[in-house]
Amino acid sequence: MAKIQLSNISHSYNPNELSPTYALNPFSMTWENGKRYAILGPSGCGKTTMLNIVSGLVKPTKGKILFDDIDVTNLITEQRNIAQVFQFPVIYNTMTVYDNLAFPLKCRNFSKEKIDERVNSVSDTLKLSSFLNYPARKLTADQKQLISLGRGLVREDVAGVLMDEPLTVIDPDLKFRLRRSLKEINEQYKTTLVYVTHDQNEAMTFADNIIVMDQGEIVQVGLPKDLFERPKTTFVGYFIGSPAMNLFETEIVSSNEVNIGSIKIKTNTDLSKVKNKNIKLGIRSEFIDIADNQSNNTIKVKINRIEDFGNFKLLTSTIQNKMIKSKIDREKPISEGEVNLYIPPEKCCVYVDEKLI
Amino acid sequence: MNFKHKFVFLFPGLFVLIGILIFPIIFTIRLSLSGWNSYTPEMNFIGITNYIRLFTDDPRFWESFFRLSFLSVTTVILQYIIGFALALMVWREIKFKRFFRVIFLIPMMTTPVIMTVIWRTFFHESLGPLNDLLGRVGVEPILWLSDPVIAKFTVIIVEVWQWTPFMFLLLLAGLLSLPKEPFLAAAIDGASPFRKFVYVTFPLMAPISIGAIIIRLIEASKIMDTVFVLTSGGPGTSTETSSFYIYIKGLREFQMGYAATLSFTYLVIMIISLTIIAKVLTKLMIKE
Repeated sequence: MAKIQLSNISHSYNPNELSPTYALNPFSMTWENGKRYAILGPSGCGKTTMLNIVSGLVKPTKGKILFDDIDVTNLITEQRNIAQVFQFPVIYNTMTVYDNLAFPLKCRNFSKEKIDERVNSVSDTLKLSSFLNYPARKLTADQKQLISLGRGLVREDVAGVLMDEPLTVIDPDLKFRLRRSLKEINEQYKTTLVYVTHDQNEAMTFADNIIVMDQGEIVQVGLPKDLFERPKTTFVGYFIGSPAMNLFETEIVSSNEVNIGSIKIKTNTDLSKVKNKNIKLGIRSEFIDIADNQSNNTIKVKINRIEDFGNFKLLTSTIQNKMIKSKIDREKPISEGEVNLYIPPEKCCVYVDEKLI
Repeated sequence: MNFKHKFVFLFPGLFVLIGILIFPIIFTIRLSLSGWNSYTPEMNFIGITNYIRLFTDDPRFWESFFRLSFLSVTTVILQYIIGFALALMVWREIKFKRFFRVIFLIPMMTTPVIMTVIWRTFFHESLGPLNDLLGRVGVEPILWLSDPVIAKFTVIIVEVWQWTPFMFLLLLAGLLSLPKEPFLAAAIDGASPFRKFVYVTFPLMAPISIGAIIIRLIEASKIMDTVFVLTSGGPGTSTETSSFYIYIKGLREFQMGYAATLSFTYLVIMIISLTIIAKVLTKLMIKE
């Protein structure tokens, strides 16, 4: 396993044109040895490009990649000793499960004893031991994906395992189990795992650190909790969480107050030095609750609809033509027509020019 | 909807199908049961006399059939190997890729009969340039067209030259349609080019290969013009194929009834053997 450093990396697919467009804007980042990372972002934001740069399938237009401080930028994929799992399972159809798992070791001329030992160990972890002599093509899609993953894990010295939306073809229940398996594998082998996804739940439940990307930029790197509670940009607030963060265009009223229409909302943010005009207030629907009566930081809203999701109710309401969504405990009674909502100051995020202050 | 309405819509298609496929076959079967020849050009019913003659008293047809099998299988195998090699060559990013792709297709675009005339001149044993060139490097003249064994290989050379581009075209189209991921995965696994071919390219290409081989086998088993122009079936009958023999019986000797018997028997044998070949190839190349 290795520490992977991306130093001033940027990439354009048309670098020779007069005004090249960049799929990845310059950035630097370090992936620590043995950690789990998720790269999260909408389609076309540069996630796969980043992964392919690390695995050597794409050479970056600018910058360097270092594995344990050794520059590997100019090394081809075969020389980087990296593993990559693709969106759809890639197996060698003509081989058995054993031969599939043994293939990377055979290509590297390992001894038969070593190959046996590694294949048996990895197949135990992935619960593929009973299928070792089966033709790989006869397995189900999720088992095939495990084989793809296993081919990465059989190499003890692999620098990292990169996964490009590997659970797309798997049904939701198995997805959950496989994510747990991946975590166990990470803990057992101390493999650096990098997981690309556009599914925030996958990213949140899998990773130690989440890298959120948008339009070739890294917009936030952090723990799932930070991303949820303190999104650094309005994009992250909107992209992470379901429903998305409530965002209101607002104006500063005092050193810690903004307004929604004519109602003052207190926040825990110091607003005394803010001079800009483009100010937004962000609040997660999870933090908004029904208040019994009007007091500080409550707003009276008109109820549009209530949807029962089983474990909670989603209340969609409007205040002065602005929509606000809140997740309410399903047992809590909601009166018809109008209701008071409480907005906790400590959970309010204030954005100036789309960035958190 | 009423059944009769469906029939109205089906009728144009059925009419064409019956006209171009069913009728000629039924007519051939009926003709094969007649003694139609240049003396008695009529549909007189003679039962299975022609079939008895074919199976008991016509070794020449069966010889031509086995010769045809040898020629078609050999040419198609060679076309597949060479076509695949050429397709692999211009599949990846190489210099002058487009130029090579066009060059490799030229033989297919030429007229077979005209090109065979040129090949016949080329192989001419006393006047042709090939023996002249070989003579300059001290090689004795080779009987390209008049030795019974060598003549077969001359036919094979011309057929391979003419039709390898077709195989090349199908296989190149197949290669260009393959998904990238298996190749990327093989690169990541550290596979050598040989291993990539054996475990990735060849298995992925198997369905396309089978299609291409079957199409070419069907075409190659109808070989006629090359033999007609190059050797006229000779020397003796050493390059005579089934279709050429049927042509002799039908259009030179005007034994139309017997030629129809040969045609129908040939058709049945081809349907059975191509079905078996397709199944065997599928079993060997695609492991489902």
